[in-house]
Amino acid sequence: MAEVDRRTVLKGVGGLAFVGGSGLALKYAFNTDDQKQDPSQLVAKDVSESDKRLIFSNWPEYIDEDDGDYVSTLTQFEKDTGIDVKYTADVNDNNEFFAKVKNQLGSGTSSKRDLFALTDWMAARMIQVGWIQKLDAAKVPNLHANIIDSLAKPEWDPGRDYSAPWQSGLTGIAYNKAKVGEIKSFKELLTRKDLKGRISMLTEMRDTMGFLLMVNGGDPENFTDDEWQDALDLLKKARSDGQVRSFTGNEYVQDLASGNVLACEAWSGDIANAGDENLVWIPPEEGIMIWADNMLVPNLATHQDNAEAWINYYYEPEVAAKLAAYNSYICPVKGAQEAMQDVDPEQVENELIFPTDKTLSETHRFMALDEATMRNYEGDFADVTS
Amino acid sequence: MSHLDEAPSPQTPATSGPSRDLRLSQLTKEYASFTAVKSLDLVVPQGQFFALLGPSGCGKTTTLRMVAGLDVPTSGRISLGDTEITYEKPYRRPVNTVFQNYALFPHLSIAENVAFGLRRRGVKDTKQQVADMLELVELTSQAHKKPTQLSGGQQQRVALARALINKPEVLLLDEPLGALDLKLRRGMQLELKRIQTEVGLTFVHVTHDQEEAMTMADTVAVMNQGVIEQMGAPIELYENPRTTFVANFLGQSNLIAGEIEGREGDHVKVRVQGALASVPGDRAHSESGTGWLGIRPEKVLIAEAGEPIDAPGDVITGGYVTDVSFVGVSTQYLVRMPWGQELMVFEQNTGARAMLAVGTKVDISWRPEFAFLLDASQDAKAGIEEE
Amino acid sequence: MTSTAGVPPVSTNDASGVKPRGRKLTGYWLILPGALWLLIFFVIPFYSLLASSLFDPDGSVLTGYEMTWHFGNYWDAFDQYKGQLWRSLWYAGIATIICLVVGYVLAYAIAFKAGRWKNLMLVLVIAPFFTSFLLRTLSWKLIFADDGWVVGFAQAVHLTDLLNIVGLTTTDDRLLATPFAVIAGLTYNFMPFMVLPLYASLEKVDLRLIEAAGDLYASPARGFFRVTFPLSLPGVVAGTLLTFIPAAGDYVNAQLLGSTNTKMIGNSIQSLFTTQLDYATAGALSVILMVIIVAAVMIYVRTAGTEDLV
Repeated sequence: MAEVDRRTVLKGVGGLAFVGGSGLALKYAFNTDDQKQDPSQLVAKDVSESDKRLIFSNWPEYIDEDDGDYVSTLTQFEKDTGIDVKYTADVNDNNEFFAKVKNQLGSGTSSKRDLFALTDWMAARMIQVGWIQKLDAAKVPNLHANIIDSLAKPEWDPGRDYSAPWQSGLTGIAYNKAKVGEIKSFKELLTRKDLKGRISMLTEMRDTMGFLLMVNGGDPENFTDDEWQDALDLLKKARSDGQVRSFTGNEYVQDLASGNVLACEAWSGDIANAGDENLVWIPPEEGIMIWADNMLVPNLATHQDNAEAWINYYYEPEVAAKLAAYNSYICPVKGAQEAMQDVDPEQVENELIFPTDKTLSETHRFMALDEATMRNYEGDFADVTS
Repeated sequence: MSHLDEAPSPQTPATSGPSRDLRLSQLTKEYASFTAVKSLDLVVPQGQFFALLGPSGCGKTTTLRMVAGLDVPTSGRISLGDTEITYEKPYRRPVNTVFQNYALFPHLSIAENVAFGLRRRGVKDTKQQVADMLELVELTSQAHKKPTQLSGGQQQRVALARALINKPEVLLLDEPLGALDLKLRRGMQLELKRIQTEVGLTFVHVTHDQEEAMTMADTVAVMNQGVIEQMGAPIELYENPRTTFVANFLGQSNLIAGEIEGREGDHVKVRVQGALASVPGDRAHSESGTGWLGIRPEKVLIAEAGEPIDAPGDVITGGYVTDVSFVGVSTQYLVRMPWGQELMVFEQNTGARAMLAVGTKVDISWRPEFAFLLDASQDAKAGIEEE
Repeated sequence: MTSTAGVPPVSTNDASGVKPRGRKLTGYWLILPGALWLLIFFVIPFYSLLASSLFDPDGSVLTGYEMTWHFGNYWDAFDQYKGQLWRSLWYAGIATIICLVVGYVLAYAIAFKAGRWKNLMLVLVIAPFFTSFLLRTLSWKLIFADDGWVVGFAQAVHLTDLLNIVGLTTTDDRLLATPFAVIAGLTYNFMPFMVLPLYASLEKVDLRLIEAAGDLYASPARGFFRVTFPLSLPGVVAGTLLTFIPAAGDYVNAQLLGSTNTKMIGNSIQSLFTTQLDYATAGALSVILMVIIVAAVMIYVRTAGTEDLV
């Protein structure tokens, strides 16, 4: 009898301990910390001189490559400086890359990179939480001398103290002219019967929602919650009507080329790079979204000097012209248009690389969002797209 | 090869009306590399317990499967009474089988196994019949168990009940007792016989066990290499085998080579190693040339050389004992004859005389009416099971 | 978790004296690798998921998440994603049924009719595993391309119209980016998980039992449903579970072959975890999915009652 009692008691105590332990573990073991850091406390000893290397993460298909006699800008840089550049195209998506580095940067450890390029809003976010090192203005004189006016003073980094645009680009519409009649506006994309189920849009919230705001007559740079909601409803309707086939990242080019998609929201350079003459990119009547990808030096980067040398190098007009001639995105460097004369005269008047002031005046950026609003909007948007 | 008229039919059919004998005509089954059954003719009278006896590979199971419809004959006919069923689907034949390893459905209870055939034929209320059948095989208390929970003997009875409940015109039993141990087998032999008598159905029983066949069957057909060697009542097959195969496969035989001198009255004379023996005419299956003189070991009488022999018949002298085995009820001797052959002699232990020692010179004798004479063109060792 | 697990009770008044201590502990040492494995790969991730499902939803990756027993996450997640949840179960269910029917025929053919081709056929069933899951799914995108011959053929024989009527496509002229494509992808990708267990259990079915059924007046069809099929039930249960569970949580097929209207719960969870970084909702949704599947499996296994089967 005593044995039974003892067992019952043991079982009871064990059960309670299990429940209590589980509760404690749930309560305290898995919480996550505030990821905000102080960049001034996270400066690594710079070993650029002794260890001549640079580790750079960029988006795919974004840099020229050696080809026969052609010497790429990267190879030239290595020759000039003796710095060995480890260039990796591992940025496919801003959110995805954020998830990749958040554990290190958020906890104040090294991301093992010296430089990476992210789109404006993500760059802003990272600078805001203190994950990015300040650039030494004295070491990047070309940046401050040559950056084009439209990109010189973003509100999230007015002095370009933390960031340097790699390339800028436009978001508009691309379509396959062999398969579908001319498209002029974003509204057509959303309503034309012959496009039903044959269009795709981008998962980049700011690009896509910018257009929807504009279709409704709003301004992406300044809108209210109600306007946001209306734009979102418009998107939901297009989706539930089956007008939109998919929301994609960079891979939209394949669907467009294979004919599954007839028209889509697209980035300017991609279509020029695709090399298919049936694919055309147009600025929609409603307006154009503009963005830039910015080079950033993360906390605890050990080759900041080399990174700054790299930035300075790419802000030489000749180098910038060479790069822009290759990837057809907007060149952020003044004087590159003149330099293009020597690189590829045909591209001097290319509006995609050197947009006129008039075109630039028609472009829109997306309103800066505080963290909470951003999460709400990202959430709203993701609910529709995924 | 049919010897139907000789087959006794001790049981009158339980049902009246036209006879529903099972009739196989020139039934043949050929496989790519061999012929399993060669032009078999056979009639099993309704209500008989019929045994197909033969060593493994003799074609008896193939024959059974053709009757069941599980194998299709290459040629020939199978009919039940006037109905031909040669190519009838198995599930349309009024024939059921008790399979060698019972083939009970492991996912069904005993009662469900037994009810299976009735259900498939659309019988709604199977309860009473199943209960009766389980009663018959004495398994009422096991009705709700699964087959794997039963012993081998019990499973055997379930298989029997499962087939019998359908009241087939012919019940086929494929080595039904093969998986049981010896003691259980003897018990089941009696029980099977009891059940067959009770239900009065035609049973066709396939076995390689000659004792089993003889114990149970009204008629035994001995099969070898796809043909029936001989068919008849057990006692007739044993006493008067027509071939060396039957002589050896059913019990044991001493086969002694001899010259046939010819018929004299109702006996055939045979010269055996100098001595003259006679065989009754109806037991002589060869009348000229050389032949095998056959005599069962228990029919051979033995005595010390020169001593008188009880009820002597044909006598051969000059042998000596080479081996003695005492088996309780009898003593088995091996006797080497002057011409080198060893003959088997079984003697009842009546106690009339002491056991003979190895090396003892002996004479042997047998009554002529127990001898049989076979054609010498056959292998004297046919049908002797390998040790 | 109890102290007696895996160790025979040791009698304390054993006259032979004290047993060597090492022997008594052997049982514990033997379960150690398994227990560690379970701890590292199941218990900790599970607790982590459970904790994140109860995070304060006002937190974020940047500002930090705190576990506040916020059970409201469950209702919010369920309410917001019930469409995708239902769709996932529905798609996975249809795919499982198609897999079962097609896979059964295939497994039956391999087990009973293939003869000397048996091994080759088994290899062919497994062959798709030799290439990556992602590549195989992508190749279906090419096969079902809007301008491809498969779609042309489907239109010519009015298959697309038929699918449209039963609601498996959204428009009448294509296959890609429709529920049909997603279900086809799921069916294709999980077919081997159905065929192999089915084959394994069919192969064990004693052919003599099928003969016995025929002998007992069961036509081939009835024999199949009364004997062969019940005996293959363990394979059916294993196959359907191995197909349904991963299919219900899959997101690759919906991502690559589907459209915005065919997103499954896996897509939502993936997006919540990796792009929206909403760990609270993501965790709650994962736990909901897990509970639904575990409950469904328990009911299913109990109903199928396979414990009696050999």
